[in-house]
Amino acid sequence: MEGPSPSLAVLRDRPVWPAAGRRQSGGEAETDRDMKKHFRVCRFIMETGVKLGMRSVPVATACVLYHRFFQRARLQAYEPYLVAMSCVYLAGKVEEQHTRTRDIINVSHRYFNSGSVTLECDKEFWDLRDSVVQCELLILRQLNFHVSFEHPHKYLLHYLMSVKSLVNRHAWSRTPVAETSWALLRDCYHGAMCIRHTPQHIAIATLHLALDSYGVELPVGEREWWQVLCVDVTKADIDAVISDLLQLYDMEAKCI
Amino acid sequence: MDRDLLRQCLTYHGESLFNKLKCEQIENPDFQAVVSDLCKATCESKSDGQDSPLVEQFIARKADILFCPTWKTATHKEEEQEEEEEEEDATEPYAIMPPMELFMEVSYEERRTMLYRDLEKGDILVGRINNIREYGFFLTLLCTAGGLRRDIEDLELSALCHIREVPSTGSHDDPLSYYQIGDFIRAAVKDIDRYQEKITVSLQQAALSPGLEHIKLGVFPREELPIHYSRSLRAAADSRETYECILKSCHGYHNPSVVEYLLEKVGVSDTQPPSMMRGLQSKLFHEEDFASAIRKRQSASWALKCVRAGVDHFKHGRHVEAMNEYNKALDIDTNNVEALVARGALYANKGSIMKAITDFELALENCPDHRNANKYLCQTLVERGKQLEEQEKLVTAEGLYRKALSLDESNPEAQEALHKITETIQVSIRLREEAVAKEQEKATSSQTSAEKLRKILKEEKRMKKKRKRSASSNPSSTASSRDSSPSSSSSDSSRRRSKKKKKRRKRGSKRHRRISSKESSSRRSEEGKSTKDQKEEEVEWYPAPPNTSATFLNQKGGPRFGERDEGEAVENDAEDKRISQLYSLSAASEDEESDSSQTERKRRDGKESRTGERKNSQSQEREERGSRSGERKDKSSERGREDNGKERRGSDSKRRSSLEENRRRTVSCSSAESAYSRKSHFNPEYLGNSKSVESRVRHDSSKRNSFDGGRYENRGREEIQEVEEAKGEKDSRKGEDENVPGSGRKSEGAGNHTRQSSLTSVPGGSVKKDLPTNLLDIFNQIAQFKKGKGGGPRK
Repeated sequence: MEGPSPSLAVLRDRPVWPAAGRRQSGGEAETDRDMKKHFRVCRFIMETGVKLGMRSVPVATACVLYHRFFQRARLQAYEPYLVAMSCVYLAGKVEEQHTRTRDIINVSHRYFNSGSVTLECDKEFWDLRDSVVQCELLILRQLNFHVSFEHPHKYLLHYLMSVKSLVNRHAWSRTPVAETSWALLRDCYHGAMCIRHTPQHIAIATLHLALDSYGVELPVGEREWWQVLCVDVTKADIDAVISDLLQLYDMEAKCI
Repeated sequence: MDRDLLRQCLTYHGESLFNKLKCEQIENPDFQAVVSDLCKATCESKSDGQDSPLVEQFIARKADILFCPTWKTATHKEEEQEEEEEEEDATEPYAIMPPMELFMEVSYEERRTMLYRDLEKGDILVGRINNIREYGFFLTLLCTAGGLRRDIEDLELSALCHIREVPSTGSHDDPLSYYQIGDFIRAAVKDIDRYQEKITVSLQQAALSPGLEHIKLGVFPREELPIHYSRSLRAAADSRETYECILKSCHGYHNPSVVEYLLEKVGVSDTQPPSMMRGLQSKLFHEEDFASAIRKRQSASWALKCVRAGVDHFKHGRHVEAMNEYNKALDIDTNNVEALVARGALYANKGSIMKAITDFELALENCPDHRNANKYLCQTLVERGKQLEEQEKLVTAEGLYRKALSLDESNPEAQEALHKITETIQVSIRLREEAVAKEQEKATSSQTSAEKLRKILKEEKRMKKKRKRSASSNPSSTASSRDSSPSSSSSDSSRRRSKKKKKRRKRGSKRHRRISSKESSSRRSEEGKSTKDQKEEEVEWYPAPPNTSATFLNQKGGPRFGERDEGEAVENDAEDKRISQLYSLSAASEDEESDSSQTERKRRDGKESRTGERKNSQSQEREERGSRSGERKDKSSERGREDNGKERRGSDSKRRSSLEENRRRTVSCSSAESAYSRKSHFNPEYLGNSKSVESRVRHDSSKRNSFDGGRYENRGREEIQEVEEAKGEKDSRKGEDENVPGSGRKSEGAGNHTRQSSLTSVPGGSVKKDLPTNLLDIFNQIAQFKKGKGGGPRK
């Protein structure tokens, strides 16, 4: 694991990589490296979210904020972990689950220096806090203050309720489709796929994959169940989401 | 691994998945255990191998998570979920959608088989009566209700409700006459014949499945049709109404907390969210990495830092800054033990002994073994005891010493002080007795006029009468009702004493026993012993009177400790230039203090002797009785009987003694009064201040007896009043009336430790009850007058 910069350096506006690393020809390699980096940072957001007791939707918002930010900005220009921390902070505000900067800094500090002593409330702490708040403003400007997003979570849960009625109740209670689809949905946010696809498609794809995983068969009518749930979705769309998602699981094996 | 689930999955995906699984899960012992069992399932597979190999690869890789038995958490929640269905219809916390098969256009046959497959006994069906026969009626089924949501309207299903299943209303001979064709009926499934495809339903509530019992069966109006049914009607009528449209038009969809609600409903935890990523399994996270745990540790260390800074300030004499640091530390981390101890030490050094005691006690509550807290509290209590001693609140002071000793057995200061104070108490009691005896003589001789003589005769008569009556009546009430108030109070107290003795024996601290036995051997006079014991008992019973009236707070420098130990506690270098300062501070305040204490007492005395102001003590008494009498009452009544004889004998002399005591008290009070007049300019603001402290402190019931000392001192006042009152009464009948209820009250409150307050209640409480207020006023005026007269000549 190529470690995150341990100092959690204050916002910086210089390229991280030396010029040699930015070969023109290496575009492919660079995107791959960027993806891995994003994957790690998103893993950080997820883990921090759990430790902060954040719900799924705020964590999802934080990830979307992060991905949208780096859609517009070069990864080399900003410290991604700092951006991630600010995204968590901002997401807490957007989704009405306020998280204190002190907690975010504490948890992050421990994430990077596991087993170390707790951060003192001294100058270093206040510097970190300042950078988090500054970076939050940067994100807001970069995203033109568009910080509220529609998430697949709501769709997925309603779909689950509908699909549940189609299945025999005993078969349903035996099969953890809800947990699996929820886990898949959360895992989506490790990559930029969460902003590439529409929320409904993501919800349907995760539900589809969960049902597939357990071999749950739904009744067949004139139309497939997913066609009913979302009119414009095609089998290709679902497959695209699923393949993106499976790619993320591959990446986990590669870069953690 | 969940074998059934895995089999179901393999049946669906077929051979290729099985091969991948064998490849990926080769090291998983769980999988190896079930692998042979799964071969068969794979052979039955109907899969045509069209599934994406990527998906199969995913399943194979994550099989250990997917099929882990702990993965599903929602199983047992299913039952409860159905309970809420009906309320949900009304409030709609989430979008209630029409059944999906309606949009999917599932074929008639398939839907019919699905319904017969999934419908169970106890489910709810909604239908319309289409035919009534003598043996029951038939329903055309419209929809389902409860947990199952299916589109069944066009399945042309009908169900029979037998007459036995219709609850009789009583007024009708034929229960069926209540129903008409076309009525909407909510009914429970009683039986399903899946072969013949026949459904029978019931209107008996008992037929419902456990989760649905609250739903009422029978006829209902059209408006109460289930929401999903009415929505499906709309959707069926208009093909443009897609699932998505309906979803977004629902109120429930826009509920801001719909995600949390539904998560709970489907049984997924959002605080320990599931993940397929191996690194994100919640169980891998350590508890100490969570935000709340870190914050707690951080706060504690931050607070400690502030305490250190405070101690530093303190050493350099910057007490205000030190106090600010301590308060900051306590803001950051409430109940931080070090901060509490440090602040307590600072308070003690500044003379706010009560605050110091509060802090130390709080610290000990959180950390009972804190060495410095124990030590400081002990010293502070001794200091407080000394203050009280100077104010002649001997009993309370004694209690404080005892408490200090209970914290630290070997504290020499406390031992010495306790020893000294017990002797002082003995001496003062002896003096008082002598004075009372003298006073008694004087009182009799001074009454020269014929009227007074007559009155005395009358009173004597009355007493005799009482005695007679009491002899015949309940023995426990005899002792108290027999005599005028002082004697009744003494009987009361003696009863209390005996009971307390028991109590003490139980508590059985060696030290206490030693002291009391020594005392009793030294003093043989019966009454003297009783009074003394009584005093001591009061302390026994309330071993922890940490705060007195707080009136005298701030007047004197507290115990001079703290900085050194504090320094040791927090840092290890201890310097000592501060003590001298503090000493000088306390010395300066000392002379002032004694005067002002008298002043304050005087003020209180004046107040309490006015009946209007008495409510206070009475209410307190009642409070105390409420908390204590329950445990004591039974004991007190039985002991009271035994004591009767003795009491009767001693009563006369006791009455005399109390009279004498009153005289003496009056003198001391009047001298205090003069002191007060001299010092009347003395800082009134301060007095107000301390009173507020006092009231705060009194909320604490464990410290209830803080007033004891004060009240004890005031007793003389009250008694004199009572006696004078008794004398001054023109009507002996009335006096008797007054006494009877008074004593009744007393026997009831016999367990009350506050002799003082029970005394107070005689003129204050019972007289008020029985006499008109104007009479009461007159009595009080007489009392005041006599008191003044009694005190005058002796001056």
